[in-house]
Amino acid sequence: MDFSLSNEQRSWQMTARKFANEEIKPITLDLDEAPDAHGTFDWGIVEKGSKLGFRTLAVPKEYGGEGTDYVTQALVMAELARGDSAISKTFSQNWKWSHLISAACNAEQKERFLRPFVADHRFLLGKGITEPTAGSDNRMPPKDAPKAGLKLRAERQGDEWILNGEKCFIANAPVGKLFFIDARTDANAPLRQGTTMFLVERDTPGFRIGKVFNKSGWRFYRNGEMIFENARVPHANVVGHVNNSDMKAAAAGDRTGGDLFGDLELAANALGVCDDACEQAMKHARTAKQGGQVLFEQQHVQLKINKMNMLTEALRSMVMRVAWEHDHKVHSANAGLAMNYSTDVIQEVTELNLDIHGGAGAKVARHAEKLVRDAFIWSHLAGDTVQRLKVAARLARVAAQH
Amino acid sequence: MFNLHLDPEQLEFRDTVRDFVEEEVKPVTLKADRLDLNDRTLPVEVLRKASQMGLRTLTLPEDLGGVGADALTSCIVTEELAVGDADVAAVLTETSALALRLFSAMTPKQRERFGTAFLEDDDYHLALACREPGDDSALGINYHRPAPDMRLATTATRDGDHWIINGAKDCVANGPIAKLIAIEAQTDKGPALILVPRDTPGLTVSEQPEPRWYHGSCGLLSLKDVRVAAGNLVGISGATDAGRAAPLPQALNLGIGRAAYEAALEYAGLRVQGGRRIIEHQAIGTKLAEVAIRLDIVRTAIWRAAWASDHPDAFADRSLPDMPLTTIAKVFTAETIYRAAKDSAECFGAMGVMRDMPLQKYIHDAMICLHTGDGNSDDKLRIAETLANHRRGPSMLAAE
Repeated sequence: MDFSLSNEQRSWQMTARKFANEEIKPITLDLDEAPDAHGTFDWGIVEKGSKLGFRTLAVPKEYGGEGTDYVTQALVMAELARGDSAISKTFSQNWKWSHLISAACNAEQKERFLRPFVADHRFLLGKGITEPTAGSDNRMPPKDAPKAGLKLRAERQGDEWILNGEKCFIANAPVGKLFFIDARTDANAPLRQGTTMFLVERDTPGFRIGKVFNKSGWRFYRNGEMIFENARVPHANVVGHVNNSDMKAAAAGDRTGGDLFGDLELAANALGVCDDACEQAMKHARTAKQGGQVLFEQQHVQLKINKMNMLTEALRSMVMRVAWEHDHKVHSANAGLAMNYSTDVIQEVTELNLDIHGGAGAKVARHAEKLVRDAFIWSHLAGDTVQRLKVAARLARVAAQH
Repeated sequence: MFNLHLDPEQLEFRDTVRDFVEEEVKPVTLKADRLDLNDRTLPVEVLRKASQMGLRTLTLPEDLGGVGADALTSCIVTEELAVGDADVAAVLTETSALALRLFSAMTPKQRERFGTAFLEDDDYHLALACREPGDDSALGINYHRPAPDMRLATTATRDGDHWIINGAKDCVANGPIAKLIAIEAQTDKGPALILVPRDTPGLTVSEQPEPRWYHGSCGLLSLKDVRVAAGNLVGISGATDAGRAAPLPQALNLGIGRAAYEAALEYAGLRVQGGRRIIEHQAIGTKLAEVAIRLDIVRTAIWRAAWASDHPDAFADRSLPDMPLTTIAKVFTAETIYRAAKDSAECFGAMGVMRDMPLQKYIHDAMICLHTGDGNSDDKLRIAETLANHRRGPSMLAAE
């Protein structure tokens, strides 16, 4: 088994590491401590990263993107997250949706949307799925409640669709220029059958961004409300076909029901945070003193550092294996499992790091505490329980095939 | 006889404080914009109302003008207050507990001098300043090894009928709001507690610098030639046997967890996803059951330690094991409530991390409890030394 990276993969990894060390680390803590939801964001770092290709990493070369493989994407996400998890996610959120543009849009849409996206360093993408009454229901539609799920309505009027409703907690909503929007085009059909995906530009008449959410962790990451009041979207912006929208998974050729990129993304980001935590813990243990000796002299500190690194390396193996599987079109439940595992690991590792930094008199490290707040976001992202149940269902489907 | 009954007075206390929290505390402390701004200014009106109900002077003996509540009753009250707000509970509990310690140790003359003002003024809070900047109080590397004596840098020199105090103190709970502070200073006869009124010249109090890693109020003291009457010396040391003290911080910690749990239980009974109320899904039901189990076992440990603190003879007659039950409760409570708060918050999905909602605050408040004192790892070492019958001198007992 060859675990080595290609020169190109290694080069991207090192570029991302340098960017994280030199550009991200110096600003991460101050941004996190901004008191409200607005001061936590900075276009400067987005533009700098974009110029190095971090925003367009997943766009095919023919459209002016970097055209990288999944292994490269995993490496870059981890390296950026080592600097700041939310900044890394702000970049990779664009890869998720540019993957979807490539996979699900027609040639005309790709030209119309990918080119301006690539050209503008401030062009960010998002996707509106979640609504106040539909979170887990969108991720795992209940069989015995067919009307459950998103309610945003889209009604055809000539060459346009009229959208009414709202979305909430949507990533990049306050700063994005283009959004995929899942809308209910057949209210009587179950979710998958009755949903159509649209591309909605920021300046669409009748569409506006509402509240910007102030979060305890991932504070750089922008989450907002979307409000549609007779918003008019051209028919040419329908992605795929009307109704029966399962474009993400289907387009990727993955029939096992997973979120090809999204699961890997969260696991790789978590890996970067864990790497940061392990580095911080070791540095602190080797320098901070108690009773006249460095903390590392104590067995309970050594045991914590062992645990942190053990979990991080296990996660790394899983992340890289999943990335490799994606590049080789091997389909399994491993991406989902990696995402579930990363939820547990990131919290345990960052909490152990905080433990090592804490204690009476010692001023609790701002950085260590921030990592903990960023880490428990993982349990609040896309319905943690539902994500685990979905993977279990996927495993059962695979078992049924044998 | 293993009697778990609460007496009617304790039950009434619990109900009264619970109602007070619902009607007077939560509407102020859980306001969305207060949470969103991470605003931790103390709700002074709430504290005053609580004082009027006797919650500032709860453990002070009745003959000294207080309510005379025992440790178990105090834990019940503290838990209820903390369900409303950790900061409110912390301030009141600190003053109440210190009132018992200090006023019980005072001479009648001292009680006369300080007692009336303390009882009559709803804003009169107390603080105890022991810890000094740079103190290394952890057992850590000195586990089963000799530890250097902790010598106080703050000194009190006798000058005629006065003490002159010089030094600095750190992490003083209630420091910024206390009207009377008991300062632990080194005299030529050893460490002593000296009462210093807030407005004494030479005493400077400032807020503990960020990051805010405490509940209630906390501050730094600087003492430059602070002159107080010789009669301000109180005949007890700053040290306590933390292993057998009233587990009030643990009761506060439990209240935080319970607040998170109650919010999650209510929400799970209302929120419909997956075709039914989410509590009707096995995953959520199981999660809430685990939280409920944790809360109940934590309360058991705390109440047992509290009862032990009220009945120390139960150690001597072998009803209770010869263990530091309060330290045991501390370790178990801190770890367990942190998990309970997180699991409760998870029932809320994305709302569990939104700053205009209380769940993320409960998690953060529980996290603070997990990192007070020298941390759980250090407490486990202290317990381990007790298990091995390794005795230490008094200087190591007061490490909180």
